Amino acid sequence: MTFAEDKPNMIEFKDVHKYYGDYHALRGINGTIKAGEFFSLLGPSGCGKTTLLRTIAGFEGISSGAVMIDGKNMAGVPANVRPTNMVFQSYAIFPHMTVGENVGFGLRKDPRSKEDKAKAVAEALEMVGLKGYGGRAAHALSGGQRQRVALARALILKPKVLLLDEPLSALDKKMREHMQIELIKLQRQVGITFILVTHDQEEALVMSDRIAVMFEGQIAQLADPETLYRRPATKQVADFIGTMNFVPCDILSDSGGTIEVDAKGLGRVTLSADQVPPAQGVDPVVGLRPETLTLLYDDQKAADREVKGVIDEVIYFGDMTYYDVYLGGTDVEVRLSMRNVPGRPVLDVGTEVRLAWSPTALVLFR
Amino acid sequence: METASFWGRVRRSEAASGLALISPTALYAILLLAAPLVTVVLYSFAQSEQGKIIWDFSLDNYIRIWSAPNVQLIMLRSLTVAASVTLATVLLAYPVAYFVSFHVAPSKKSLWLFLITIPFWTSYIIRVFLWKGIILGYNGVINTVLMGIGITDEPLQAINYNAGAMVMTLAHAYAPFAILPIFVSLEKIDRSLLEAGQDLGESRMMTFWRVTLPLSMAGVIAAVLIVFIPTIGDYVTPDLIGGGKVPMIANMIEVQMLKQNNKALGSAIAVTAMLIVCVVSIVFLLLNRRFLSGQK
Repeated sequence: MTFAEDKPNMIEFKDVHKYYGDYHALRGINGTIKAGEFFSLLGPSGCGKTTLLRTIAGFEGISSGAVMIDGKNMAGVPANVRPTNMVFQSYAIFPHMTVGENVGFGLRKDPRSKEDKAKAVAEALEMVGLKGYGGRAAHALSGGQRQRVALARALILKPKVLLLDEPLSALDKKMREHMQIELIKLQRQVGITFILVTHDQEEALVMSDRIAVMFEGQIAQLADPETLYRRPATKQVADFIGTMNFVPCDILSDSGGTIEVDAKGLGRVTLSADQVPPAQGVDPVVGLRPETLTLLYDDQKAADREVKGVIDEVIYFGDMTYYDVYLGGTDVEVRLSMRNVPGRPVLDVGTEVRLAWSPTALVLFR
Repeated sequence: METASFWGRVRRSEAASGLALISPTALYAILLLAAPLVTVVLYSFAQSEQGKIIWDFSLDNYIRIWSAPNVQLIMLRSLTVAASVTLATVLLAYPVAYFVSFHVAPSKKSLWLFLITIPFWTSYIIRVFLWKGIILGYNGVINTVLMGIGITDEPLQAINYNAGAMVMTLAHAYAPFAILPIFVSLEKIDRSLLEAGQDLGESRMMTFWRVTLPLSMAGVIAAVLIVFIPTIGDYVTPDLIGGGKVPMIANMIEVQMLKQNNKALGSAIAVTAMLIVCVVSIVFLLLNRRFLSGQK
């Protein structure tokens, strides 16, 4: 999952601002996207992720700052001459053309012969798994096929950057999961920088080399999926990515290097510096992921720390069971996830349990 | 018992209630549309003598029409005028429809469409007189301006009583009819298609040519039909603007039907005109099918 830092920058945002009238849509975006990277812009709707993608494509101008593609400032460069191609959310397949005409749309100015272009179209269709579909009417395709046509139509032009605007949101769950893997493979195969816009954190985690999480026109954190998940930079990011339990705590001492806190129901804990992202002015809480809490059965012993609790809710998922548990004698409820294995029964509501946890899994937000 | 249940079934059946619902309209259409049409077609194969119809079926009327040079001339003129009006109207309507669809804020679009229908607020006859008297007339705006700035010394005759004046008047009258269907077809275009066109390397101009125009052709063809069909049969404009000097088919039919009292020949001209319109319409409808086939 570690991404080669030595790759050249493909996209650079330099303090990008965008206003729509009074509305401040992008509020100082900074960051770089490396060549050949699978990058995701993740955030809730209205956070500016699509706007940011459209500033790369050239469909939106910016109010101030700079967007650089492959070292060139894109100010005043129209969409049709930028080295980017886009897969639109609606796919934007031309309804008056065949599949082949759609895929070959961008080849008009290509100096190659007609036969070579036809061959390129056939190859592009084969690459996305639509071999032999060239003569079909575009309007007769299914959602998944339309998306493949949109991909082939963009990739045939060999752009430096492929922009994907929520390309999977219109597909059903099975198809979406299938296409996620296909897109990853395709990206590896062509080696083009992919930039994906999505509101689905799971999708972003599965597909991306790095992710920029956006809220209200700003990038809250730009990191690889594992860092994002294990060490979220803000409480908002922690809440948005996966499930995070927040336990209120009091800060006892702050020595600069380590911080000692008293977390409600968990007790005193000493946290190292990497568990404490910069302060954001929120009431202090420690966050811990459901899978870092483990139910202890029978005479199992905790490897590190142990806490008592009472099961309040049981959510059964087949392979997993989620338990909502009140921490020892408090009103603090945490969610934990247990893999269902043979010989380990699903427990009932009201059962008194012991939980194992480790201070190293905590993150402090303050 | 049998009959009662039979009538009960008929009364309850969907087909019966459907027929009952459309019967007023159907009756109206049969009496006022189909019956006169059949009469005219029958007349066209008969003969007229001193205003009386003689039921002597032959193709004589049609042979007379198609071999008479003046009829051919008038037919050709009607076609030319209607084609020119259609061309002018659609060419002028397209930019207006495009502007309203693409450059007017969504909240203002209905206001714009409302304003476009303003020409319909007054009767066509009154608008014809406006063109005839106030704009194109002997003492009209154009002549006054031309004389005022010293381009001509006396009023021009050429701008009135000719086919050009008729085209101008008709094009003005039919503009809304052309703007609306084109507007609708432009509205239906998914805007991301235009972005896709540019994203794939085409300029705005080429995107218009390769995406917008083909996708709006259904509206253009609808506009062509809506303008062409009524103008080819227009009667008022040649009579008033043309001053009777440049008659079109409708005027010729009127002469035969009323002045010459030759209903048979008049009917034959009417049927011929209808056939011409039919052929042109079918050609355009086939074109329309081609463009529509590519769309959802």
